[in-house]
Amino acid sequence: MNTLWACVVRLFPRAFRTEFGVDVAAQAHADYQRARARSVPTGLWSITTSLLNIIAAALAEHLRPTWVSAPPPSKGIGMRGFFDVWRLDLTYAGRALRRSPGFAAVTVLTLALAMGVTAGIFTVVNTVLIQPLPFANPDRLVYIAGTAPGSDLPPEFGVSPEFFLHYRQRATLIEDVAIFNTFTSTLRVGDRVERIPMAVATSTVFSTLGASPMLGRLPGTGDASSVAVISHTLWQMWFAGRADVIGQTHFIGDGRRTIIGVMGAEFTFPSDSTLLWMSTDVREGTFPVGRFGGGMVARVKPGSTHENVARELTNLARELPGRFGGSAAYARTMAQYVAVVRPLADEVLGPAARPLWVLFAAAGIVLLIACANVANLFMVRAEGRHREMAVRQAIGAQRGQLLRVQLSEVLLVAIAAGALAVLFASVTLPLFLRFVPPGLPRLSAIHVDATTILFTAVLAIVAGLACGLLPAIRSSRPSLARLRDGSRSSTRGRLWARNVLVVAQTALALVLLIASGLLLRSHSKLSAVNPGYDVRDVFTFQIAPEQPALVDGPSFAQFWLSFADRLEALPGVQSVGIVENVPLDEGLSAARFRTDTAAGEAGPLLNFTFAGADYYKAMGIAVVAGRPFSREDAVSSLGHVVISRSAAKMLWPDADPIGRRVQREGLTTWETVVGVVDDVIQDDYRDAAVPLVYFPLTGQQPTQWRLPSPAFVVKTARTDSIATDIRSVVREVAPEAPMYRAYTMEGLAERSRLALSFTMLTLGIVSVLALILGAVGLYGVLSYVVTERTREIGVRMALGAQVGGVRRMVVAQGLRVIAVGVAIGLVIAAMSTRALGTLLFGVDARDPWVFIGTALTMGLIGLAASYLPARRASNVDPITSLRGD
Amino acid sequence: MNLLDYHVLLALSSGPMHGYAIKDAVALDSGGTQEPRAGTLYRIIARLISTGQVRETAPPSDAPIHPGHTRRYYTLTLAGRRTLAEQARLLKGAAAQAERRLGASGRS
Repeated sequence: MNTLWACVVRLFPRAFRTEFGVDVAAQAHADYQRARARSVPTGLWSITTSLLNIIAAALAEHLRPTWVSAPPPSKGIGMRGFFDVWRLDLTYAGRALRRSPGFAAVTVLTLALAMGVTAGIFTVVNTVLIQPLPFANPDRLVYIAGTAPGSDLPPEFGVSPEFFLHYRQRATLIEDVAIFNTFTSTLRVGDRVERIPMAVATSTVFSTLGASPMLGRLPGTGDASSVAVISHTLWQMWFAGRADVIGQTHFIGDGRRTIIGVMGAEFTFPSDSTLLWMSTDVREGTFPVGRFGGGMVARVKPGSTHENVARELTNLARELPGRFGGSAAYARTMAQYVAVVRPLADEVLGPAARPLWVLFAAAGIVLLIACANVANLFMVRAEGRHREMAVRQAIGAQRGQLLRVQLSEVLLVAIAAGALAVLFASVTLPLFLRFVPPGLPRLSAIHVDATTILFTAVLAIVAGLACGLLPAIRSSRPSLARLRDGSRSSTRGRLWARNVLVVAQTALALVLLIASGLLLRSHSKLSAVNPGYDVRDVFTFQIAPEQPALVDGPSFAQFWLSFADRLEALPGVQSVGIVENVPLDEGLSAARFRTDTAAGEAGPLLNFTFAGADYYKAMGIAVVAGRPFSREDAVSSLGHVVISRSAAKMLWPDADPIGRRVQREGLTTWETVVGVVDDVIQDDYRDAAVPLVYFPLTGQQPTQWRLPSPAFVVKTARTDSIATDIRSVVREVAPEAPMYRAYTMEGLAERSRLALSFTMLTLGIVSVLALILGAVGLYGVLSYVVTERTREIGVRMALGAQVGGVRRMVVAQGLRVIAVGVAIGLVIAAMSTRALGTLLFGVDARDPWVFIGTALTMGLIGLAASYLPARRASNVDPITSLRGD
Repeated sequence: MNLLDYHVLLALSSGPMHGYAIKDAVALDSGGTQEPRAGTLYRIIARLISTGQVRETAPPSDAPIHPGHTRRYYTLTLAGRRTLAEQARLLKGAAAQAERRLGASGRS
């Protein structure tokens, strides 16, 4: 008999058994002996009841352990006890979830998907935007520019060299300052020639940033303009990482320079693409005053605010005309000048920040929607376990214990989802990054790391609590009344919480949908922009020949024209043009131009470039008045220029420009306008066309300018196969010059829209995800309502309600909830879409079409999600539903 | 706090007891309405120990030597005594309430 008790006692959890197993068995045995003493049947009855009692108690002990192996101190339960209790709850929750694998899978996957997206974008945001710049004390680094309200200068413009001298000597709140410019220029190493992105900067740029070289040294005061420092990337790509690069002299930009240092891989300034820094020396009297456009970086002294620095620099700038002189226009500009000071990080990361924050917010919204869905599912589950909770409460469970039981299941789901999310993020992030537009800072440093894991862990716990608290609180208040009457009472009172969740989901999904709608419209507007040229069937490339005969403007121009003739003779080529800065690939230079009609004035600020051969024909740029450049213009010193329509309007608002003369600031010669062409978009489809002056390939003096490596534009239907033919021509005329920067104009146009299409695409995917989750949520709630109301619907139908009426009733219930969600979503969207800011193009942040269209879409989806449960409701068989009780 | 927990505390309020004696005392105190079986009783004891209301104590010197295995004795902690007093006060109030209401309905 003792063996029997010993066996049954084994059913208890080990902790309990070790402590009380023997006593339980002994007592059961004593009971039996006492009963047996009365009669055999009483004894048998005692064995049976004891057996049942021990089995029930053992089961109960598994579900709700009473025995905590280390008895806690009398005052509250300590940390250890706390974790023990949670551990038990989690173990139990794990078992409970294993019993319903479908539920576990759906909830874990929903959360994992949303958390994976959030974790992935967090990783990008953290690496690109949150982590400090790789310089010493980056919070003290500022970018300095200026603004002059009321002048004809752009809203914000760069500084000119005299600012650097004056600020460096006089500013008291600045430790160090540097001025720099970035551009694309030629690098020639042996027979390798390319135009690469580089910067020219005062030697103070390195001391300001607090950077030191990996190899060699940094430029000092004695170096003037004869040295350069190269980036780690350039060192690897062009010099195979060889240490003897230090001291080598190469053709860099405009002349020969000696490489004196190599920066470490982490040094990127001002952008990741900058491969080389030429040093320059700014000395008083060696530069023209008022040549705005330079970038300026400074290190402010500890404790000085940006406002104070800006105030001091503004005051110093006002002194500039007095010290350096300059034109009357310059003096006028400086009288209105206000210094702009902002964190360097904002300047460097600025363009990337907005799309990333928008995506991060979108991911957060998807996570919220997923949480609402999971919370809903848990509420359904809690409804199903209402009796169990009521029973537990009846036998003495505290409210806190009930809460813990519920919460531990949600937390377990959230933790599992978190683990899956990290996995999901590490698999999808590299894929995502492959589609990221180039130019995103620190792109190569982005990968799932410890911060991501920590973030996801916190996210999992927060998401778990967010999903679990509502259902847990509601179900930890089980009503004993419902236990008594069999729990088929009305669902009305319990439904509000779930309706609130659906409303929230609908509203959030609508916000995302509206945002992607706005981006979609921006994209189509952007694609419809007429850039002023035809990007179809145009191939562009550059070469940089180095031949003894090529020395001045005419010799280069002659060479280019005969090269263009060779290209035009290739099969399938319609026309060939030459331009110094091809649109969508390179920026333009700017200068003031004065006219013969308004001499004395400095004139408006215009952009200029150089063009030749059939440039306008090849690009499809319309000639509005006069004529394009001729062969004569290209090679001789006629001093003819072609100007764009808006430049004509700025120079001679009311007169015919043909035959009039202009003078570029800094040149002594006057040029005659021979033609006016249509405006073109140079940098970006979202920018307005810029006023532009085209100079010929040769200036009035042969050495005034020369074009050693202009871009060619080739109009041909064979853009994908023409490169081979061109290469063979190049090999004949300039075997020493490789072909580079070869693109199709269509490819360049696509690149210019890439940032928007990328954001649009990702946001689109994310909002579709949100839409699906939202629809599933609504469907779930309505399905549940129909199930709960089966009996009521049965009664209605037994009393003669029509199928259509029942369907309408259910659909109307769904649509009411959707309508509230849509209304709230519209309000939130109206308040928040302005955050899209510069991503929008040609679309108002509150575009009524997008708002109405997406709201209707949401309504239709709500209709569909309500209709399925409604159909099920109308198929309720009255007899079955009534018998169900 | 359910009724059996209360009865176990009540039983132990007369001094340290072993399991079987607790069961008999509960039966006696409750007029035979409560008679916890082995599994139930030890879960209650476990819970009361876990929550710090009861602790194990040395057997009294006059305890009879029980054959087979050593009996373990339990006693109330200070917290246990407080809980018992509190519960008793609540029950007393509830009982008085019931008496008043039943008495009132009896007169009408």
